[in-house]
Parts: sequence; C-alpha cells; structure tokens
Amino acid sequence: MKTNLSRQHIYLLVVSVILLMFVLVFSFAVLIPEGKEYRIKRVELKKELKELKRYQNFNDETYEVLKNLQSENRHIITAFDTIFNIERFEKQHKSFFTSLNISKVEPVAKEEGFAVYEVNTSSQISTPTTFYSFLDAVNKSDWIIDINFPINFKREGELIKSSFTMKVYYNSPDSNATASESVAK
Amino acid sequence: MTYSYIKPRKKSVITPEMVLAFTFFGITLFMLVCTYLFLAYKDYSFVKDTNIIQTERVLLEENLKKMKTEISFIEKQKQFSQSIYTNNSVLKDSISNLFDLVPQRIILSEANLLENGLILYGITPSKDVYSFMLQAPLRSIFHRTYSSFYPAKNGWLRFVSTNYSDKEESIDEN
Repeated sequence: MKTNLSRQHIYLLVVSVILLMFVLVFSFAVLIPEGKEYRIKRVELKKELKELKRYQNFNDETYEVLKNLQSENRHIITAFDTIFNIERFEKQHKSFFTSLNISKVEPVAKEEGFAVYEVNTSSQISTPTTFYSFLDAVNKSDWIIDINFPINFKREGELIKSSFTMKVYYNSPDSNATASESVAK
Repeated sequence: MTYSYIKPRKKSVITPEMVLAFTFFGITLFMLVCTYLFLAYKDYSFVKDTNIIQTERVLLEENLKKMKTEISFIEKQKQFSQSIYTNNSVLKDSISNLFDLVPQRIILSEANLLENGLILYGITPSKDVYSFMLQAPLRSIFHRTYSSFYPAKNGWLRFVSTNYSDKEESIDEN
C-alpha cells in the first residue's frame, strides 16, 4: 500500500506532535504545579485576611475598653502622675484647718510598684468634724494620699492639735513609661 | 519551447494551511504563556499581600499587647487607689466612732491612734464612770485594755487608757 503524504503534511504532523508534546510537558511541569500553588496561596491569603479581621475586631474592642477605662478613671490616672506639691496641697486644704504645717517630702521605698512620698503633717482643728471633711476631701484631691497611723489628737485650749503622716503615691518612673504611653490607633 | 500554458509558480514549504496551523499553534502557545504569567503574577501578589497582612498583624499584636499592659496598669491603679480611699473612709468612721464612744461626762485631753491600738488621755469624775461608760465599750473593741489613774486638782481623776488589738487574731477573724 502506498501512502501519499506530501512534504507539507509531514511538516505539519511533526510540528503538531512537537506542539502537543510541548503543551503536555508545559502543562504538567509548569502550569498544573503553578495552579496548585495559586490555589494554596489564595486559601492562605483568605485565612490570613480572616485572622487579620479577627485581630482588628479584638483590637477595636480592646481600644474601646481602654478608652472607657481611661475616661472612667481620669482622676485616678492624673493623680498618680502628679508629683506632690506642698504649696498646692496647703492651698487646697487649708480651709479645713486653723493652721496647717507640712514637713519635707521624703521619698520612701516603693509599695506595690508605686513610688511613695511620706509627709508629716501637724495642724490645728476646731472640731473633729472638720477632720472628717478633710478625709473626704483627701479622697478627691489631686494626689493619691493615704492617711497613715499614728494619728495624734491633743487638746490645746479651744482647739485640737492633730498630727499625722500622709503617704503620697505616684507612678514610679519605670512603670510610668508603660502607663503614660498613648496607644496610637 | 514551452510545454505549459501557465507560468510555473514558485513552490514554498509554508503553504496557507501551514500558516493557519502556525497561527493556531501560536495562539495556543500565547494562551498557555499568558495563563502561566497570570498565575505567576497572582502568586506573587498573594505572597506580597500575605506579607503585608502579616506585618499588619504583628503591629496589631504589638498594639494589643501595649493596650493590655495599659489596661492592667490602670486597673492596678484603680484597685490600689480604691483601697486607699477605703482606708481613709474607714479611718474617718473609726475616728468618728471613737469620739462618739466617749461619754459627755468624760473629757478627753489626748487621743493617740495607732495601727493596732489606741491610747486615750483624759479626765473622769470617778473610776466607776470610766469603767462603765468608756472601759466597757473599749474592752469589746480591743483585745487588751490597760488603765491607770492619777488624781487631778479638781478632785476628778486623770486616766491613761491603753488599748491594743492582737494583729494575728484580727487576721484570723477576717
């Protein structure tokens, strides 16, 4: 049997076979692995996006909690940041006493991570009621003040001489660094 | 001498059929390469996006850590200040109760409030008045009560009342 194939047909057949081989090799060696990688990376990206969204939500919630906490405790936060000032304290609380003397501010050891100043106070009051008012006012003052024992009341004529120790608490420099840092959003 | 009526055409290997076939092959190859380039670009962009997301996540984590530290610090400040405010309020009530405890017939000249005790100096008309009206309530508050008396000029008695609470016991009670 004689096959009648022209030269062009033979070229075409050869090129077609080469193309088919190239397509097969290219597909199996390059395209399919690349496609697989594409699918894996797409899933990975989706997962990362989901995780990021979760983090963002949690971040927003935490930020909200922090802001609320800061606004609710503005007075306390400011009080811990304020360094004790004798003149200012006297000016604010002199009205409760007939006379008020505050000794030097002495720094003492840290307590619960906060730095502490110890202040000795001697004063004269007309009635114990004014001392109660003073204790109420101390809780609303610009500093965190703990009235400490011993407290001495001594009658001096019509007045009562009182002497007591106050502990003023403020943020120690190392803890202050973390606390005062504003969180940028 | 010519044997044909037409002029012979020049024969070429690239016939129109071959051109059509090559065009088809060319388009096929082009599409394959384009698909590959698309996938490669997408892979690159996914990796880039993933890296950006991861960096953003690290930043969020750091921010979150900072906020948590700040929250715990504010809570610590709040708790600590509340305990101080409570101490001051308790102190106020204690002093108020102390002065309410002293009957009108007994005059106090000095009161010394200690961390675990109370020392009172004053004048009483008699030992009985002191015992019934001041010592009895003091005994109910403190664990140890000691009293000493000295005669005053006006016939009354000066007294020193020393009262202590045992710390360990009061802790146990709590």
